[in-house]
Amino acid sequence: MSKKLTVIPEQCSGCRICELVCAIHHFGVNNPKKSAIRIINTYPHPVMRMPVVCSQCKVPACAQVCPTNALRWVEGIVYLDKENCVSCFKCLEACPFGAIYAHEDCDLPIKCDMCGGDPECVKNCPLGALRLMPEYALGETKRLNNVLSYTQMREIEFYEKGEKKTIRYAEIGKEEL
Amino acid sequence: MSIRSGYFKKYLYVNLTDGSIEFRNLPDTFLEKYVGGRGFGAKLVWDNLRNHDFKIDPLGEENLIVVAPGPLTGVYLPSSGKTSFIAISPATGLYGDSSIGGGFGVELRQSGIDALSITGKAPEMSVLFIDNNQSTIIPIPELKGKTSLEAEGIIRERLNTHTAHIATIGPAGENLVKFACVNTDWGRNAGRTGFGAIMGSKNLKAIVVRGHYDLPVDDINSMMAEANKAYSYLKEHKYFRMWQQEGLMNVIEYANEKGILPAYNFKDSVFARHDQINGAKMLEEYKIGDSACFSCSMCCSNICLVKNGKYAGTVVEGPEYESCAMLGPNVGIDNFAAVLAANRLCDELGLDTISAGNLIGAVIEGYEKGIISLADLDGRDITWGDDDAILDLTRMIAERKGIGDIIADGPRRIVKKWPEMDKLILEVKGLEQSAYDSRAGSSMALAYATSDIGAHHTRAWTIAREMEEGQAWSDEERVETVIYHQTLRPLFDMLGVCRLPWIELGLNERHYEYFYKHVTGNQLTLEQLLALSNDIYDLTRLINVRLGVSRKDDSLPYKVYASPPLTGPNAGKVVDKEHFQTLLSMYYRRRGWDEDGMPPADTEKKFDD
Repeated sequence: MSKKLTVIPEQCSGCRICELVCAIHHFGVNNPKKSAIRIINTYPHPVMRMPVVCSQCKVPACAQVCPTNALRWVEGIVYLDKENCVSCFKCLEACPFGAIYAHEDCDLPIKCDMCGGDPECVKNCPLGALRLMPEYALGETKRLNNVLSYTQMREIEFYEKGEKKTIRYAEIGKEEL
Repeated sequence: MSIRSGYFKKYLYVNLTDGSIEFRNLPDTFLEKYVGGRGFGAKLVWDNLRNHDFKIDPLGEENLIVVAPGPLTGVYLPSSGKTSFIAISPATGLYGDSSIGGGFGVELRQSGIDALSITGKAPEMSVLFIDNNQSTIIPIPELKGKTSLEAEGIIRERLNTHTAHIATIGPAGENLVKFACVNTDWGRNAGRTGFGAIMGSKNLKAIVVRGHYDLPVDDINSMMAEANKAYSYLKEHKYFRMWQQEGLMNVIEYANEKGILPAYNFKDSVFARHDQINGAKMLEEYKIGDSACFSCSMCCSNICLVKNGKYAGTVVEGPEYESCAMLGPNVGIDNFAAVLAANRLCDELGLDTISAGNLIGAVIEGYEKGIISLADLDGRDITWGDDDAILDLTRMIAERKGIGDIIADGPRRIVKKWPEMDKLILEVKGLEQSAYDSRAGSSMALAYATSDIGAHHTRAWTIAREMEEGQAWSDEERVETVIYHQTLRPLFDMLGVCRLPWIELGLNERHYEYFYKHVTGNQLTLEQLLALSNDIYDLTRLINVRLGVSRKDDSLPYKVYASPPLTGPNAGKVVDKEHFQTLLSMYYRRRGWDEDGMPPADTEKKFDD
């Protein structure tokens, strides 16, 4: 069963521990500029800290433009075949998320390999902004939030043991269809 | 042992007058002795002072501003994002430093240097762009008058860089306000001792840094293992999650409970409506995200947004405890949205929130007491909690309009104009006191009086310990604790790391011995590192002594002796003058200084090379 590295930007603080552990794990150096995950900050509007990392697409745009077939999707991970890569960096330009990186010292593109299935960044994220999720669970939170924010829901407040609580309900049959 | 790694062994020397930029080597002996950060800065500033025969105008071309991260800055360990700014301060005319978190220092190190020093004055408004090992001075005259945040946006567009880290000044810095700050990462400030004014005096609107070099680490595997131990310790701490959520804002509640929260220009030390401006209120209505410095899992900073009312749309990184206390209770504001608006305004104008809040509080009290007249205020009435008037006054300070022109020159200028204000302003050596009331504890008073930069809590924060120990705490212990803080906390500034994991979550300081060893390959015990830090304290004292400081300057503001807080647990308490002098003498003896606070005559020789 393949798992996806999922990003929850709302929970990211921008500490860049993910960048550090990625670079140390793959290159053995303390250099966040050599990581396959980067946090993009936007400020002041809209405030967003977005970890940008490979989505391991099943139809990888990077692989489609690779002239030597060095990029291939195998069981949930798009691998870079170091033997075949000619470092043309077409993949960097093709990735719709800009999630492949380059560094002067490195001959090859820097691309997430999921650390073979147990990503260091996920293990070390202090706020749970990076998670490893089974594919079937993707979007569950979004779906739930969307349902809960359904505009025709009504809300009432009540007290239970002195604590204020709210309950939401749908008024069935009151809206014109 | 010697320095095997951890440094690039060079720093960048920039002279804005003739536009020259050069790399200068840092020999191993220098690295070993001064470590980094504030250590490097104090030494380079000392050398510059000697070259100018100890006659330096803080806002003159000759003042040297040093930006120095430490050997641990940017390394994989908890909270390694710190870097220090060091110079002769325009606020005090003495040694000054201020540290910032975020990612600026990391980027600076990644450009392949251990420190940056800037002197001279550019002919027109310019930007220093450090792009790996290429550095250029770029005149961008249209940046003149732009706010810190606007300027950062314009520079990003002009230089086509999204990833660079940028330190900017706002209009307050350009107008040489003595407590102007330097803003990085859209809202992290080197706040204290007036670095914005120094940059302004040099026509330097911004420092832009982009770097991609590996940071030298001697033994990365051992480093990783030690860091993981520290990260795990923090993660397991019972208050860790609370720090992530409320961050420094949790201190408001603590300070109010203990009676050390400044209210109404320190007239009081509790605030009746503290629940309107505390961490819980922030979480409930304003917080929209976490914000962390580089490699920090505690993420003590918050991002807040005002969602409705007249300040709707105000977004700000912060506030932290100091900003909230000084721009809130200290000026009588009990509306969190107004605190956020004031904080954002200070960020944009490039004003230090602590100094601004302190002086505005004093002006309001001065007006209340009739020392400052309505005419002095240009007919604009101001009172406690009047947020419109307070924000207007903030703007007037940055633009040096009306009374703002006098406030902009700091507390001593205000006292010159209105001598009776001497009794209302809390400052030491010309630096306004930060937001921990020292009347509750003589150790905190001693900490403010003997801090090398003035009344700031950065060197020693003993108030919590004082509250725990109470009256029974012996004077020896008080002095000992102040000195231990003044040695360990500056060591963090030398190494380029944050002190919060230690002071707030009790991370064992012994870890830093190993961090230092694994990064530099140089084996020193914590005690040896502390001895180096202690030497730097002697050096900054020496700088101050040579600039005229003696026992008379290690003094306390009038209110601390004579004007007790009105209510709360510390109502009626003041610091006893004689007791303080006893403590001060003990402190000098313990440091090996004479009765007048002078280090031994041979101290200077230690810093010759």
